[in-house]
Amino acid sequence: MMLCLVLSAAAAAQAPAQGGTFRYALTTNPRGMFNPILYTEAYDGLIIDVVFDGLIYIDEQLQPQPRLAKGWEISDDGLSITFYLHEGVKFHDGVEVTAHDVEYTYKTMLHPEYTGVRYGNFRLLVGAEEYHEGLRDDVPGIEVIDDYTIKFTTTEPYAPLLTQFGYGILPRHLLEDIPVGELERADFNRHPIGSGPFKFVEFLTDQHVILEANDDYFLGRPNIDTLVFQRVALDALPIYIRQGRVDYAEISPDNYAEVSGIPGVDLYVYEELSYNYICFNLRQPRFADPIVRQAITYGFDRETYVEILREGFGIVANAPIPLASWAYTNEGINEYPYNPELAAQMLADAGWKPGPDGVLEKDDMRLEFEFLVPEGSRVQEQMALLFQQNMEDIGIKVNLVFMEFSAAVDRVDAREFDTFTMGWSLAVDPDPYGIWHSTSPWNDPGFYNERSDQLIEMGRRETDPEKRKEIYAEWQRLINYELPTMFLSYGVTIAAVNERVQGIDTEPGPLGPLVGLEKLRTIWIAD
Amino acid sequence: MWRYIVRRVVLQGIPVLLGFTFLLYLVITIAPGSPVTHLRGVPNIDEETIARREAQLGLNDSFLVQYIKWLGRVLRGDLGLSFDSSRRPVAELIMERMPATILLSVSSIVLAWLIGIPVGILSARYQYSALDYAVTFFAFVGISIPSFFFGLLLLYVFALKLNVLPAGGFFLAGEPRTFMGYVQYLLLPSITLGLSDIAGIARYMRASLLEVLGHDFLRTARAKGLSENVVVYKHALRNALLPILTLMGFTIPFIFSGAVIVENIFAWPGLGSLAIQAVSERNYPVIMGINLMFAVLIFLGNLIADISYAIADPRIRYE
Repeated sequence: MMLCLVLSAAAAAQAPAQGGTFRYALTTNPRGMFNPILYTEAYDGLIIDVVFDGLIYIDEQLQPQPRLAKGWEISDDGLSITFYLHEGVKFHDGVEVTAHDVEYTYKTMLHPEYTGVRYGNFRLLVGAEEYHEGLRDDVPGIEVIDDYTIKFTTTEPYAPLLTQFGYGILPRHLLEDIPVGELERADFNRHPIGSGPFKFVEFLTDQHVILEANDDYFLGRPNIDTLVFQRVALDALPIYIRQGRVDYAEISPDNYAEVSGIPGVDLYVYEELSYNYICFNLRQPRFADPIVRQAITYGFDRETYVEILREGFGIVANAPIPLASWAYTNEGINEYPYNPELAAQMLADAGWKPGPDGVLEKDDMRLEFEFLVPEGSRVQEQMALLFQQNMEDIGIKVNLVFMEFSAAVDRVDAREFDTFTMGWSLAVDPDPYGIWHSTSPWNDPGFYNERSDQLIEMGRRETDPEKRKEIYAEWQRLINYELPTMFLSYGVTIAAVNERVQGIDTEPGPLGPLVGLEKLRTIWIAD
Repeated sequence: MWRYIVRRVVLQGIPVLLGFTFLLYLVITIAPGSPVTHLRGVPNIDEETIARREAQLGLNDSFLVQYIKWLGRVLRGDLGLSFDSSRRPVAELIMERMPATILLSVSSIVLAWLIGIPVGILSARYQYSALDYAVTFFAFVGISIPSFFFGLLLLYVFALKLNVLPAGGFFLAGEPRTFMGYVQYLLLPSITLGLSDIAGIARYMRASLLEVLGHDFLRTARAKGLSENVVVYKHALRNALLPILTLMGFTIPFIFSGAVIVENIFAWPGLGSLAIQAVSERNYPVIMGINLMFAVLIFLGNLIADISYAIADPRIRYE
């Protein structure tokens, strides 16, 4: 009883203050495409996240949670999802959000003239492909049952589908008269109207975006009055943080030391859903044997890369599902600790012998290759030098090729590379199909493995999360043995938050202290 | 004079602009990388979507067809639509950033002239004095120091250590836009952008004035008993200013291209970040639009310099 009293007293003392302005620093200008189904840049996505509501949102555990939908039901065969909407939720212009708005939003992404990039996420809906090809006018896979109920049906079970329902719902009454092909030029995209916790006020190019609290938000008005996304020069960001001109900023590891000394500012380091890697071109016979790939991995000092070059901001990676994901496993995962003797021994056992110039050779193959490195990141350039040096120690000659990013992507797409380094940012759902299935255009290493394809396909169809996790665990062990790419590190993000901001997640998961931007509704500004 | 201007524009300006845009379009289309490269990072995107996007953007046409289509639109006054997701008209993207770039460029030019000319004059007037040596020293530093480094230096000193000026950017949301506010935000970027011009103009002014001061007519003036001040400021200065006017024509292009870099350091809301972003994304219409506009401005700048030359020197006539 005493304890209860004490707790409630403490809670009362921390009652959220109302009002104030929260400033979120942006180092890149948004494009001004504030339309949830048409944007492609993450910065536009930030504004969209607070102006619009999706059927679901993703919580700090990366699990879908109800938002505009108060709940959903997945059929026993795993083919359909029925969403039940909250009643009485209003768009910022006062019109109610109904299942027809949901239908409009999703059907537009399937339309033949749709100019955005999200069609692929929903092509499995029944009738989507014929509708997209212009062969029919309706999509049986999207069915409005009544004003507050909508059912989506797929042609085959597709486990990642649920997490795709976070796209903001568009107001049909404002957009339905605009031909879908011209939607990308609609004025709406610059003056968005959604149903979210904040109303759009102003976007000044290269300066700021201003939003104000939605007094009528169905989950309660946000505590802060004004939300500002403030454009800040990258070089000046630490100064802005120090002077309290911004309350929240993501900073790079280079700035960590400088920002960590600032009184009144807390730093949070959290794992993100990303990793970087060195890709082998498996189309070349010399990389075909997994022993060669494993030996190269043993021969590269990735601990030094993460601990020294990245100054500890990262985690050595050994498989393509990051620590931050629920599907991550380390059971049965070989960590390939740095061991140049073992690497050299493995290559010798596999029949590789030093040629006249000391470079390993076998039959007519030779372990001298190009390593393509996109320019612009000092850490990656240093990594390349370390790799070159480590490889030299085990008899492998690496020729570094530094290249501007777009040009490097060109070479990768044309498959004109021996090895290269890049990174992936991943979606919330761990489905690896898009990057790893043998039919995927982004399968850069050219990895083909029947069992891997089978597991990927099983993982997509399995709707029981526990079984799905097991499938992905087996798949990670397979990739960890095969190493079509050498995994370097899982990424981390550093967020600097002014102490006057209260109510954030102080032990942040992969979505950070604001849980995406979810917490903006409930944070408050202390005096 | 009018005949000269018309001839300059028709016979020189138009062919130069045509050749320039042709070469530029050629270079940006043959450069590796594609305008749809950045879509690759979007999860679940398929090849078909990318192919569709390429078709929408007209990337399947050959270089020549693309260029002719672009030129045709430009002649009708349309710079096309940006390739990025917002698909906004390039003219709009440029126009909304233009005022900030012009404000910064003009203020740095004004600053350069207001400081550079008097400093150059004093430096010549008191040749080989301590002042002259100091000016010469700082002028060389000013010409040699890269603007990105100087900009960071100013940020460090004035924004971080002394905390008297804002660390770049433009008005914070909600901040009142007063005249003093503009001055505060403009000061550091203008000095950064103008520094090498201040130094250059001071050096030119000094050299030009010294040369004129050695002429016979000034010895005559001195012999007539005119005071040194009258000799220098009345008789010598007007003649010495002449070559400086040509310098103005030359500096305008450097000011604009310098602005691109300085704007990025200071998050100045001008064309700089748009230009750099457009290049890294291979946003052809935006790259073309910005460069075409700069080319026109530079051409006009040179024309104005030539005309002012004629005004300053009665002997120069263009026919």
